[in-house]
Amino acid sequence: MPPGSQATDGDIVRAVLAGDRERYAQLVERYRDRYARYATRMLGSLDAAEDAVQDAFVRAFDQLAQCKEPDKFVGWFFLILRNRCFAERRRNRTSASLDAANGVAAADRADGGAENAESRRALQRALMELTPDQREVFVLKHVEGLSYSEIAERLSTSVPSLKMRMHRAYDRLREQLRDHT
Amino acid sequence: MSEHEFHPLVKQLLDGDITLADLPAELRAEGQEALQLLAGVERTSVSMPAVTWRVMTALERRRRRFRPWLLAPALAAAAALVLWLRPASPPPSPSASLVTVRFVLVAPEARQVSLAGTFNQWNPQATPLIRAGNVWTATLTLPAGQHQYAFVVDGARWVPDPGAPAVDDGFGRRNSVLTL
Repeated sequence: MPPGSQATDGDIVRAVLAGDRERYAQLVERYRDRYARYATRMLGSLDAAEDAVQDAFVRAFDQLAQCKEPDKFVGWFFLILRNRCFAERRRNRTSASLDAANGVAAADRADGGAENAESRRALQRALMELTPDQREVFVLKHVEGLSYSEIAERLSTSVPSLKMRMHRAYDRLREQLRDHT
Repeated sequence: MSEHEFHPLVKQLLDGDITLADLPAELRAEGQEALQLLAGVERTSVSMPAVTWRVMTALERRRRRFRPWLLAPALAAAAALVLWLRPASPPPSPSASLVTVRFVLVAPEARQVSLAGTFNQWNPQATPLIRAGNVWTATLTLPAGQHQYAFVVDGARWVPDPGAPAVDDGFGRRNSVLTL
């Protein structure tokens, strides 16, 4: 590799599979924050999200030989993290709403505005009342800023089915937010 | 259509396909209500600086479990590791000006731990860490950029992070550097 050039994901995956385990830290460092916000919004708690991201990386390490396209490690890793987030929500449905509201509170303090803070908290609570499928499409589109076609590609699904999910999510959010005002 | 359902055109507005001005007059109020919903979306970046260390430690611990003759050095290393905090390095995002970061410290003997840095005017009382077993944590939302910090253990001992880059503070101490 020429001096100064950065190893590709594929280079690192192949090195790890060849026995250089320490190189895996480079992949973790490279991608740990990319989906941190996704996991936090999906699970409604920074603590739970951090555990999920950690577990997903450990699981990805265990299954690394099954990563058929090492240069697309990050897309493959995302699906592992996604499964982990969905499983976590199934296990622990009850406590997340409160954590979710508290989770956004720190950010509220930093950029001020009691009204903004309250609307963020209310929306975060309402998000946790959606089904994981609905919440995911909302988070990917409105928090991560992806287009429907980007989400469809990432989740191997169709744009019309995503839109149906999202439109149901809008209605449920409206209902939740009205109930809480 | 139930009373909670947005009009299909309003859903298109939420999807970003049309603007408020494209809605017929009778749907403008509903459109504004819908946009208000999106105003509550929390887009603050989240950083997990401790995850790299945690993943690599988990992998190493498991590997050593299968090689018991290496366990003793592993325990010695764990005992020596009193403090950790990895610098955050999220991907650059011009629109994100705030980043949520969790500071983590392992300090089993400490009675109290706080964080002092450029983000709280180096006030050791401003940011106490919360204890859970041997682990102390604090979650802060900080502006993107560079911050200097140190842990303050038991109100008196200023400890830089041995795992993070550090700079001389000009008074004989070392400050850790966090770049967000």
